[in-house]
Amino acid sequence: MKLDNMFKKTNSSVDKKGYITLGRSGPMVPEGLLRKCNKCGAAIIAEDVRRDHYICPKCGGYFRVHAYRRIEMLADEGSFQEWDSHLQGGNPLEYRGYEEKLEGLREKTGLTEAVVTGRMLIDGSAAAVGVCDGRFLMASMGEAVGEKITRAVERATEEGLPLILFACSGGARMQEGIMSLMQMAKTAAALKRHSDAGLLYISVLTDPTTGGVTASFAMLGDVILAEPKALIGFAGPRVIEQTIRQKLPKGFQRSEFLLEHGFIDGIVRRENMKETLSGLLKLHEKNNAAWQEKDESAFREKGQNENVEYFLDDRDAWAHVEASRKADRPVGSDYIERLFTEFTEFHGDRLYGDDKAVIGGAARFHGMPVTVIAQAKGTDTKGNIERNFGMPSPEGYRKALRLMKQAEKFSRPVICFVDTPGAFCGLEAEERGQGEAIARNLYEMSGLKVPVLSVVIGEGGSGGALAMAVADEVWMLENSIYSVLSPEGFASILWKDSSKAKEAARVMKLTAGDLYDLGIVERVFAEPDSYTRETMGQTLDALDREISVFLHKYCCLSEKELTEHRYSRFRRM
Amino acid sequence: MIKKILIANRGEIAVRIIRACREMGIETVAVYSEADKEALHTKLADEAVCIGPASSADSYLSMESIISATIVSGADAIHPGFGFLSENSKFAALCEQCSITFIGPSAKVIESLGNKQEARNTMTAAGVPVIPGSREPVYTPQDGEETAASVGYPVIIKAALGGGGKGMRVAHTPEEFVTAFQTAQKEAQMAFGDQTMYIEHFVQHPRHIEFQILADQFGNVIHLGERDCSVQRNHQKMIEESPSAALSEELRKKMGEAAVRAAKAAHYTNAGTIEFLLEKNGNFYFMEMNTRIQVEHPVTEWVTGIDLIKAQIRIASGEKLSYEQKDVKLTGHSIECRINAENPEKGFLPSPGTVRDMHLPGGKGIRIDSAIYSGYTIPPYYDSMVAKLSVWAKNRKEAIRKMRSALGEVIIEGIDTNVDYQYAILNNPDYVAGDVDIEFIEGFEYKK
Repeated sequence: MKLDNMFKKTNSSVDKKGYITLGRSGPMVPEGLLRKCNKCGAAIIAEDVRRDHYICPKCGGYFRVHAYRRIEMLADEGSFQEWDSHLQGGNPLEYRGYEEKLEGLREKTGLTEAVVTGRMLIDGSAAAVGVCDGRFLMASMGEAVGEKITRAVERATEEGLPLILFACSGGARMQEGIMSLMQMAKTAAALKRHSDAGLLYISVLTDPTTGGVTASFAMLGDVILAEPKALIGFAGPRVIEQTIRQKLPKGFQRSEFLLEHGFIDGIVRRENMKETLSGLLKLHEKNNAAWQEKDESAFREKGQNENVEYFLDDRDAWAHVEASRKADRPVGSDYIERLFTEFTEFHGDRLYGDDKAVIGGAARFHGMPVTVIAQAKGTDTKGNIERNFGMPSPEGYRKALRLMKQAEKFSRPVICFVDTPGAFCGLEAEERGQGEAIARNLYEMSGLKVPVLSVVIGEGGSGGALAMAVADEVWMLENSIYSVLSPEGFASILWKDSSKAKEAARVMKLTAGDLYDLGIVERVFAEPDSYTRETMGQTLDALDREISVFLHKYCCLSEKELTEHRYSRFRRM
Repeated sequence: MIKKILIANRGEIAVRIIRACREMGIETVAVYSEADKEALHTKLADEAVCIGPASSADSYLSMESIISATIVSGADAIHPGFGFLSENSKFAALCEQCSITFIGPSAKVIESLGNKQEARNTMTAAGVPVIPGSREPVYTPQDGEETAASVGYPVIIKAALGGGGKGMRVAHTPEEFVTAFQTAQKEAQMAFGDQTMYIEHFVQHPRHIEFQILADQFGNVIHLGERDCSVQRNHQKMIEESPSAALSEELRKKMGEAAVRAAKAAHYTNAGTIEFLLEKNGNFYFMEMNTRIQVEHPVTEWVTGIDLIKAQIRIASGEKLSYEQKDVKLTGHSIECRINAENPEKGFLPSPGTVRDMHLPGGKGIRIDSAIYSGYTIPPYYDSMVAKLSVWAKNRKEAIRKMRSALGEVIIEGIDTNVDYQYAILNNPDYVAGDVDIEFIEGFEYKK
């Protein structure tokens, strides 16, 4: 049965003859109660958006946030002090109508320029901060923006403050011509001095960050974070499409794309931003209180040093090889998770990609900030495919090196976990310079001015392993191996028969015991009979104890003593 | 006076409200989801506005869409029906902000009655009995005994972190108390690692009795008698009737007065319902107040002759109640059965689908509230209730007979329904004797 237009309409008592009733206003939506999401188009309650970090409750899309609201979302209440609030730029090109336009915007937005700078506390940690405001000429960078940022950076350098810049910009401000271009150099130069003073700079990229801002201060952070799905790029997508006459792929130049391509450390949801920034600031605080505490406890535990038992049996070398490759053997992420706290992963080599075969970041070891880098296998087939079976690509080594250099800047000891069948062997790896990447790590690690410890936890496959093992001490677990080549490869090269791997293992001297006897490694740690995630407790305890002792010993050395020690360690081999 | 109402609901209640409006000469605007394009309410209203996709969250729960539809259609009031946004204080507040008359109590009242602890405090202050219990946590059997005596046996001992019946024991007498307490506490320690206990009076085999309230904006509050909704499955009511076989005239007066006190204490306006648990010994306890029209309102309409939807609209328009308590007389007996698209033999699995053909009963004292028609496809996204069959007769016995006869006439082809299950209840000796409590269905054996 179809019911369309079958029913009679209501016999309305309302007088339909149009007249205007006075004194009574009908239903209406008060100004500002509802707003429209520019992502999904839905009408949404403005108050919900404000309360929920300016995220659309319907589609989860991000609204752009005004500078002062952004500060309010991050700063401890009442802690923000604005700097240079009245600073304004000129009209260097004497561009017609520019001054009127600026005046109009000042009136409309209540801002004097497109960036707000100052000092604030985030969960009690002080930082200099700059926040771009897209309402003001798309936060394009002219003289005033460049000057305000530069002054904020300089003041941060002077006062020894970490710096956080929230980028959001269309790029250089066209109306100011070449003067805008110079702001890129000016801000970059100021940041160089800030960095040389050993200070932390966190750059947060928000939608959109493009052009001259991407090509200057936005991309120079020690840590670069981005909000989800933000447009980030140098040339805008429309310009690229018009130039190359091709349609760009979906997701091109979005945060996720940049993460995959190694240019940002991580994507942080807005509701987690304050917590993330606060954690990073605390991790980089000078004179970390926890550090000193650690110093003492290491002393106390030093006595146990001598009791560390390592255990070498007469099992066949091949048995060790098999054990080192067992599917249920703990992997890099297990050690990170269980030996450290507050691990914050940093992604990307800032050159080409983020290699998932290497996990790296900052963490605390009993309160002391450290940098942890691990070659990472997966725990199942899916995970192994994702992590390329623990075989790093050049970008993995370059990420590791970037994080080691970062550790050096912030005086954090570096702890590496080695577990790889070898560096990835493939076309792409060669194209991007696998050999160069490994060589560069050996070269740079030898001179690193912070303590470096490497622990071989599984397979130590040749140059791929050594690129993360030019350390002050190298340790091995009982069933880990470390060799110039896999036994299969060795048999294949010397005997033209890869099936003779078992025999090769015997002659190669690749077990922890052999290497200890050869003086290649300093320490060997015992494993239980079946070494898995469930049974790794005792081994972890021993590692934990020994890492404490290691840190205590090497953190006391001067930079010169450290590098000298490392040099002679390899010099004698 | 309200001239045009938007009905922010679907199904039979939307149809029910549209009908009341038509009779009052008030124009109607239906809202519908993409799945409800062919629904009866969509067709029957003077205008219909699509407010989003099938999922309730994106349509019937989308406050922004409904407010926008109201403004665009020029309606001056919203009737929320039941479920969906009907007890959402934020939605009521939005209506207030937009000068739209929300047909129901104020946002503030909805909010305070929605907060269990606040509602309990209000009721206690107004002298409405609530289930007695310890407000402070109890840690030892000695302290517990004291509390138990003050709340009255039998008592239930509950773990503060409890759930799934763990750490929960009933003590019927003081002799049982210490053992029961220790067992419950030990269980709580093992299950939740916590020994914090609470003690509450244990309400045994209660009936679900609720009182219908009408309150205008001038402080006049009356009750329209009770409904007995003890026949329920998993807290879903199946059969409701008025009056209750369990209430004497004296108890009705006492409970009715308590209900009026409760509504007054909450500064309530419009139609509302106070739910009580009633013990065999005549003790009753406030459970909660529903700040909306109820599914089972027809039984009250039958016995009082008052059209509750019209009353709601008049109150929202600012009219005074046109009757006092003394004018309200409960005459005869009414029973309502909810007819759901579900299969009782498959664990009440919902059974959406197309109604191929149907025949529904009629005649004196029989009422159907439904939104289905021949050829209508019941969408799978919403509640499975498709019709309410209610009857009225001089007394309970005759009402039961009438309901049996009417149920026996229902034919709905193309989907499974619970009609036969309802028919079986109507023939159950305990039900016929009026001997039911809220555990009745648990013990009910259904034979086709």
